[in-house]
Amino acid sequence: MLSIRLTRRLSDFVLDVDVTCPYPVTAIFGPSGAGKSTLLNLMAGLLRPDRGEISIDGEVLFSSDAGIDLPPERRRIGYVFQDDLLFPHLTVAANLRYGHDLLRPQDRRLNVDQVVDLLQLGPLLGRRPDRLSGGERQRVALGRALLASPRLLLMDEPLTSLDQGLKDRIIPYLRHIRSDLNIPILYVSHSVAEILELTGQVIVLRRGRAVACGDFFDVVHHPEVLPLIEAHGFENVLPVEVLSGDPARGVSVVRYGVQDLKVPYCDRPVGTRIFIGVRADDIILCRERPSGLSVRNAVQGRVMEVSAVEGKGLVYVDVGKRLAVKVTLEAIEELRLKVGESVTCLIKTNSVRIGPEVE
Amino acid sequence: MNWFPFYLSLKVAVVATLINSLLGTGIAWNMARRQFRGKALIEALLVQPLVMPPTVLGYYLLISFGRYSPLGDFLAETLGISLVFTWQGAVLASSISSIPLFIMPARAAFEGIDRRLEQVARTLGQSPWGVFRTISLPLAWRGIVAGMVMTFARAMGEFGATLMLAGNIPGKTQTASIAIYDAVQSGDTTLANALVALMTLLSIAALWFANRFLKR
Repeated sequence: MLSIRLTRRLSDFVLDVDVTCPYPVTAIFGPSGAGKSTLLNLMAGLLRPDRGEISIDGEVLFSSDAGIDLPPERRRIGYVFQDDLLFPHLTVAANLRYGHDLLRPQDRRLNVDQVVDLLQLGPLLGRRPDRLSGGERQRVALGRALLASPRLLLMDEPLTSLDQGLKDRIIPYLRHIRSDLNIPILYVSHSVAEILELTGQVIVLRRGRAVACGDFFDVVHHPEVLPLIEAHGFENVLPVEVLSGDPARGVSVVRYGVQDLKVPYCDRPVGTRIFIGVRADDIILCRERPSGLSVRNAVQGRVMEVSAVEGKGLVYVDVGKRLAVKVTLEAIEELRLKVGESVTCLIKTNSVRIGPEVE
Repeated sequence: MNWFPFYLSLKVAVVATLINSLLGTGIAWNMARRQFRGKALIEALLVQPLVMPPTVLGYYLLISFGRYSPLGDFLAETLGISLVFTWQGAVLASSISSIPLFIMPARAAFEGIDRRLEQVARTLGQSPWGVFRTISLPLAWRGIVAGMVMTFARAMGEFGATLMLAGNIPGKTQTASIAIYDAVQSGDTTLANALVALMTLLSIAALWFANRFLKR
């Protein structure tokens, strides 16, 4: 359990946060300038709060009242930045061992081979950081942080500089860290998709304050939160199971709840569980199931909730699980969309993004 | 042929380079990484030796470290060190005149290191001194070597301040630069030519070393 209560004045705003995170992975979500990175720096001890208290599992790292301020090297908090910040004068192996070698042997919770295996770093060990690709560098940075046996891992948009394919390959590693290594993670991200693929738990920061905290789908309606998500294009992230694949036609069939969906072909074995992404803007709602359309997926469901924020409508449809659909207010009126009514969601096969594997 | 002036210059330059490497690295790091009161003043003072005429600098050193100054008196009485008319005085003059040349590249090198690399090292469990030793120093190494080469070259050529503080005592404080001047004045072209040739070779060697080491 991580508990943060602190105030810190910066040149242009005040960060004033009071949250507890009981979850193994918590995402910090918010627009740029909301204080996300500042919050991580305060936790890591790189910046000093004006007052407040930070504790992990009851151990106090900082307390202005008790006069406690552990230096970063004694906090045992791993920090992975957006750019990997590998030590350029050291090889990959030396980078990985940097924190590990500083620990007393009894404090080492992981050994180098384990992490090299987990992150598949074997072939890279002898290289210098300038000889690595972006994804490799980020994996080494992650491994280096893990080998310092942190009791909490802070990640500041670690995937932002990577392309989608690399993200999809790194996210499963992050889930391993959460489930196999039992290291809690505080994860700063702009991306709803990343957050949903990793965890459902978010703290939403805006202008230095935590405006909402909890399950993503519970906070999403919050009037301060929805515009943020809108700004980045809301994407439904659905865990599905691969049923079949037809490379010749470029189509795979996946199952979501009780519904089958046709998605772009993905080269994964039948039975694999993967995430798919569908943007809320890319779904069309209709009252009756239409015919003669090129759209491959027509999913039946019931309206769970209709919300209107800042002139935009967001409709949640229960299709076995929840699906968010963005429509205009005019459409909500014309279709007379109300809670409990049945609707059909049309999803184009090619508007579906194939994401990483679920575990 | 009297090799003593050349040998003395070499000794003075090596010692001055060592002193500046230790002292200058510390100063350069502090100037690059820390904010403190009076930093601008210290900054200005550190450039002065470069801007000030060497004889003026030498004069200041003479009145600061001479027998009649409290500092000179203290050094002579308690430590038995006299800096006036001694080779140690030549080291002091060379060291002070060349310290800006050490600090400039070393400071730039420290400033060029992404501060977050040092912060990451802290989060990995490293102490501030450990970070300096394992991250900052190795990454600033080229700037420090550049500073050492510049200090050495400047110290080899030091003339004005050395003459003021250490004097021109043949066999004791007469450095190569001063000996060349003396030789030319007294018409001893053989000695002047030999020393000039030697000093030229040495500067070329220093330049070659710097290029080879710093390019890589």
